[in-house]
Amino acid sequence: MAATLKPYLTAVRHSLTAAMCLQDFPSQVVERHNKPEVEICSSKELVLTPVVVSRNEREKVLIEPSINSVRVSIAVKQADEIERILCHKFTRFMMRRAESFVILRRKPIEGYDISFLITNFHTEQMYKHKLVDFVISFMEEIDKEISEMKLAVNARARTCAEEFLKRF
Amino acid sequence: MAKNTSSNAFRKIDVDQYNEDNFREDDGVESAAAGPDESEITTLLTQGKSVEALLSALQNAPLRCKNQNVKDHALNITLRVLLSIKSTQMDQAIDTLDQNDLIDVLMKYIYRGFEIPSEGSSGHLLQWHEKAFAKGGVGCIVRVLSDTNRA
Repeated sequence: MAATLKPYLTAVRHSLTAAMCLQDFPSQVVERHNKPEVEICSSKELVLTPVVVSRNEREKVLIEPSINSVRVSIAVKQADEIERILCHKFTRFMMRRAESFVILRRKPIEGYDISFLITNFHTEQMYKHKLVDFVISFMEEIDKEISEMKLAVNARARTCAEEFLKRF
Repeated sequence: MAKNTSSNAFRKIDVDQYNEDNFREDDGVESAAAGPDESEITTLLTQGKSVEALLSALQNAPLRCKNQNVKDHALNITLRVLLSIKSTQMDQAIDTLDQNDLIDVLMKYIYRGFEIPSEGSSGHLLQWHEKAFAKGGVGCIVRVLSDTNRA
């Protein structure tokens, strides 16, 4: 399994680099509005082909580029019930604090666990390669974090059970 | 004088659809491309000429076709060819494709293949992606994103 992690992340990195060519684009409909086109889909010509990069059935990344914004959605590996719960809690914790993460979207796209919305303002304020790096390292970290938490939960449960059963 | 009504349905009317400069998809001539020839590709595959099979599949890719069924059929055939080529043969295949300007088409099918992951297919496609990227660079991914003739 570890053999496909590196090519997976490289493929995501290259796709993100290609997708993150953004420019300022004011709304064509309402004057003095400036909205991410990938969210409102006002015109077909402004939204580009969405692409998926997948590692297996459960782990995949959806990249939806448009003229002034990119939406990156990540599906995290969830092998069992406990990982599903941990992943849900973890992503919810972060999405509640979405302002402090700047590019985090408040709701994930259906079928995915967490989404980022990167607009041209973000690419103007921050380095593009650092943004790509951030998404990649996030993907690495979340897997690691969840498996660590799973171990911690199991260890704690075992100690609790031992202490409890000592009485009998 | 305007009449006062309780109805607010008029607020939902999309007045922008009557703009003259709206983007319309050009409905160009419906090309009669039927996609790659399945029997020809099967014979090429059984003879072990998988590179030729890939070349033939990509050359006849129904990119301009509007019929989704034809595209899905072509995708299945192309994926079968892609997955049958071993990683040692990939470089040779990509060199052949490069001479025929088919790297972009290959990239389109790689990305479409990612959308329907099956047992072990993603790992193989990731190798394809890496090799195609080494040849085509970021440009060929950008062309996948921006081209309206989707695979």
